[in-house]
Amino acid sequence: MLSLPEMGLYFSFLLFLIGLFTVMFRKNILVMMLGVEILLNAANLAFVSASRITGTMDGQVVMFMVMAVAACEAAIGLAMIISLYRAKASVEADDLKLLRG
Amino acid sequence: MGFQEIVFFVMGILAVALGGCLATRRNPVSAAMLLISLMVVLAGMYGMLDAHFAAVAQIIVYAGAIMVVFIFVMMLLNLPPEELRFGTLTVGEIILTIAGIGVAVALGTKVGQGYLVSALQLSEARAPLLPETENLRNVAATMFTDYLWSFELISFLILAAVIGAVVISKRRHGHAESA
Repeated sequence: MLSLPEMGLYFSFLLFLIGLFTVMFRKNILVMMLGVEILLNAANLAFVSASRITGTMDGQVVMFMVMAVAACEAAIGLAMIISLYRAKASVEADDLKLLRG
Repeated sequence: MGFQEIVFFVMGILAVALGGCLATRRNPVSAAMLLISLMVVLAGMYGMLDAHFAAVAQIIVYAGAIMVVFIFVMMLLNLPPEELRFGTLTVGEIILTIAGIGVAVALGTKVGQGYLVSALQLSEARAPLLPETENLRNVAATMFTDYLWSFELISFLILAAVIGAVVISKRRHGHAESA
């Protein structure tokens, strides 16, 4: 019998797997960024669950910091995607071969 | 299994199902809509974990601000639906994936739990339930004492990100066509 925070940790693991799958196997850069958001949210769920387990507030404060970092990541990433779209008229990761990646 | 556990379990399954739908969606805009629903469900889970401030911030900041920017950019670019090409996995990659999931599950079960309990010096007994109105006060007290320096650094990071976004997406008239 699991308590709520323990279940939260398991669900955060499952969400992290889904986010990892999205980042690794999708070709559209916008959807890959959505996958990164899922990864950050899975980490946040783990932080909040751990905060509930320990009874301290540190996890929730760190979760707030992660949220701010996610906002920065979205701003920079979307600016880069718009700039790439102007240059290449595509948001497919396969079309970006300038670095021979 | 009490009522709270059942509701939390259903919400978690719903979150995972929404994530699964997102990962296989062809249209980026519907993927973003699914992510918004996922964030709202996660906000409910935070609320059940007594993190009321986290729940509200999740809805306002994530679902209300970040995802709106995502959808704004998607509609600005006006993309056609993507062809789903997941690529072909080699046998080695499949074996590595299964091994990785196995290790993670093993860590998540009793072995890992015992390690976590000793590493974090948790007692097996539950932490006491915090009074409902105290969450915001406690978060604020922690954030502005122990984490004050991190908080100021984060504000600086956001400033840098805004400037960076403007610089990156600026149209350069001199050599825009050669890019």
